[in-house]
Amino acid sequence: MSVPLTWLVLVGVGSPAVLLALLGVASLINRPLPERWTASLAGTSMTVSFAAFFVAFVVRGTATTGAQLLSYGAWSTSYEGGVAIEFLVDRLSLAFAALSAAIAGVVSAFSNRYLHREPGYNRYFVLLALFVTGMLLIALAGNVAVLFIGWEFVGLSSALLVAFFHERPAAVANAFRVLSVYRISDAAMLAAAVLLRHVAGTDSLSLLFGSGVGTTSALTGANATIIAILLIVAVAGKSALLPFSSWLPRAMEGPTPSSAVYYGSLSIHAGCFLLLRAAPLLEQAPLARLLAGVLGASTAVFAGITTRVQSDVKSSLAYASLTQVGLIVVEIAIGWYTIAFVHLAGHACFRLLQFLSAPNVLHDLHGIEDAMGDRRSPGSGDLEVVTLNRARQRLFLIALERGFLDSLLDRGIVGPFTRLARQLTLLDQWLCDAVLPARRPVAVDAGEDQDE
Amino acid sequence: MSDARLWLAGLVALPALVIGASTLRLDVAQLRRIATAAALAMLLVALGIAVSPSLHDVSIRTSALSAVPGGEAIIRIDTLSAALLPFAAGLWLLTVAVTPRAALDRRGLRRTALATLITLASFLTESAIVLLLLSMASVWVFLFALADPAHRYQRRVVAAYLGFSTLLFAIGVGLLVSPGAQNTTVESAGMWLIVIAALVRKGIVPFHAWVPEVFDHGRLGPAILFNAPQLGAYMTVVLIVPRASPEMLRIIAILALATAVYGAALALVQASARRACGYLFMSQSALVMAGLDCTSASALAGGLLVWLSAGLAFAGLARCVLVLEARRGRLDLTTYHGGYERMPVLAIAFLLMGLACTGFPGTLGFIGQELLVDGAVDVFPVMGFAVVIASALTGLAVLRMYFSLFCGRSVALAHADLRLGLKPREAWTFVALVLALVGLGVAPRALVDSRFAASDEILRQRQERMLEGGR
Repeated sequence: MSVPLTWLVLVGVGSPAVLLALLGVASLINRPLPERWTASLAGTSMTVSFAAFFVAFVVRGTATTGAQLLSYGAWSTSYEGGVAIEFLVDRLSLAFAALSAAIAGVVSAFSNRYLHREPGYNRYFVLLALFVTGMLLIALAGNVAVLFIGWEFVGLSSALLVAFFHERPAAVANAFRVLSVYRISDAAMLAAAVLLRHVAGTDSLSLLFGSGVGTTSALTGANATIIAILLIVAVAGKSALLPFSSWLPRAMEGPTPSSAVYYGSLSIHAGCFLLLRAAPLLEQAPLARLLAGVLGASTAVFAGITTRVQSDVKSSLAYASLTQVGLIVVEIAIGWYTIAFVHLAGHACFRLLQFLSAPNVLHDLHGIEDAMGDRRSPGSGDLEVVTLNRARQRLFLIALERGFLDSLLDRGIVGPFTRLARQLTLLDQWLCDAVLPARRPVAVDAGEDQDE
Repeated sequence: MSDARLWLAGLVALPALVIGASTLRLDVAQLRRIATAAALAMLLVALGIAVSPSLHDVSIRTSALSAVPGGEAIIRIDTLSAALLPFAAGLWLLTVAVTPRAALDRRGLRRTALATLITLASFLTESAIVLLLLSMASVWVFLFALADPAHRYQRRVVAAYLGFSTLLFAIGVGLLVSPGAQNTTVESAGMWLIVIAALVRKGIVPFHAWVPEVFDHGRLGPAILFNAPQLGAYMTVVLIVPRASPEMLRIIAILALATAVYGAALALVQASARRACGYLFMSQSALVMAGLDCTSASALAGGLLVWLSAGLAFAGLARCVLVLEARRGRLDLTTYHGGYERMPVLAIAFLLMGLACTGFPGTLGFIGQELLVDGAVDVFPVMGFAVVIASALTGLAVLRMYFSLFCGRSVALAHADLRLGLKPREAWTFVALVLALVGLGVAPRALVDSRFAASDEILRQRQERMLEGGR
């Protein structure tokens, strides 16, 4: 039974990875494939991947309910340690992998038409393949290294797709801001991995995701709490939970299909999936569980209010999506794991449809308004009716400014960091001046000093 | 003459051939072609040596240069040096293949070949005296490259820092090899001097200020060729690691980790692309020194891998900056320069080499950093956290550089007739380097195993010395 499963998982993950290699090398040597070929390859790759995971899910689901660690060797032959290529396969991971491949296939087909003759067509599909490979690695990761590879692939492809229209400075600046938050998330994830290795002597995720938690003396009490909190920080960064929510509207600069697949359906749920996987760990760390619940609830309320005042449909949908993500996190914190996964899968599909159909809906709406000769007036919602006037104004301001999170980040972290680093740069220059009696000359213009 | 010595002679003869050819009345373009062919041949020969274990048994030992019992190998090929030879050859090939034509001259090509020869000879020796002489020669070649009046200030800075380093190195070596110094405080004092010399040479905090200065306002090409091979790390591996006490190695590792975080943080806020390169180099090359803490074979192997990956990736990244400067002039990171459409190969190569430099998954650097963290985390967890922070910050710094240098609306688009694309020679060199970094990142087994073998050998030597010294 394990041989076909091993092959199915390998084909499922390998299919988008091969697509990535093909399109990536073609881009690197500046010989992009024709659109027709790219679309066919992408469609075939996603279909094969979905089929492999669907069959694997059926095979695995009917056979047993436990988890199985599939090992594909290590990046060193004769020495212990190093990076092992391992996938942890159970019904949850296979279901999420199949869902990811299916959604990626739909988006791939949509994108083929949406981005027809776009200069960055090939680049888009390279990044989509990178993203899908990353999502599948997150879904199936059997150790921290594989999980981190997937986490990084998703983060990088996300930032580069936000900057897809890279001739626009705003898109690039926003991509950098998105990436900055992702790096905090990555650092938290890696810190959790380092701590896990230090206290448990392994980076196997079966310890976090399986029955090893609690039974291993190293992973109880304070250690479990700290690792769980670090994971929650990583999840909060990736899924835009408070206090990291400010990057979400910035990420809407990318093309609509990428916004749909990242911030409507898959990437934004990657954190929820990780929390679901780490549920055994959370159960050993009540404080971290409480933190997850509070973060989820506050994010749901914040996003629910903020989505009502957004002036563009993508940002509005993104915050609506975040509301549901917050609720999913609350469900996980409570311990309703099955409901959480069903919620996650249903919401991912529903929001994908909303994102992809939004341009058409807007187009139709404008047509209706043109025909009517008037704009439709927005109706007042429940919240507007029940809140006091002053409170409503404050809520409106908070929602309009998106919780002032950007300015808080700038004042609290970016500003002090930049000032300190600039002072240290000046100190370095002084250290050069200090060893010499001569004065520093005016900066030499480069151009002539490039020779060997 | 044995097969191995024949291969070795061929290896050394190639840069010597280019030095000889540079004295003839050849056209500069012709000389570049010869240098490129020689560098390619040297890379192939070095790869041949690296993949043939039967060629790793060359050793010419002598007691004439030191009082160390049993003498020292003035020339040898072992598991450590076998992988460093293609590394040196690759750096030379990269240099001669992508130097802009307008910036090419006969002296530059000769100096490049000479620097490569010195690097090669350094990687082939474990003699303290020979290493000292070669270190002095490499500093001299670097200073010679800064000889023009426009770089007088930078030359003085380099002379002050590296002169101090060389002086300490010379005194340290003198104490180390003097008769009766073994296992005494004299040897210990010599070791400390060599440690400080290596730290200065590597640009480790607080002896680092010359590195960003020389990258920013000095000449970037020679700065890359001087720094990328990381002779300071080699000095540490050959002279310090076998003899140093655990405390000494721990101090080196702590300073190196501080440098990794410091360099990464400062690279993130620089306005000058060159200076950002300098800080990036400081940050990534410091990780090599952190791995030499010898907490485990895995961490040491990780450090040795980062040495190769960060060296090659950083050299490629900095060369990209040079190629861009040749087309646009000095590069400011506070604005967006655009131009992705005109130079997609350079943009993609820059991004991938930058990511390789920071240890992004799928590149060789990732494996090195993973091993580094994996090996050190049991006994020195702070290393794991420092590598995490440094990695996060350098990743941001590289993406910031990429966005600034290749995104935004290009001013040059107004002049559509301008040809700013890469030449095939440049493009294929960058593509080959990227494929090597990614290929070795995806299938690194052979290289990882060879670095483990080298780290085992280093730890074995250290163990033997410790037993001899009764420490």
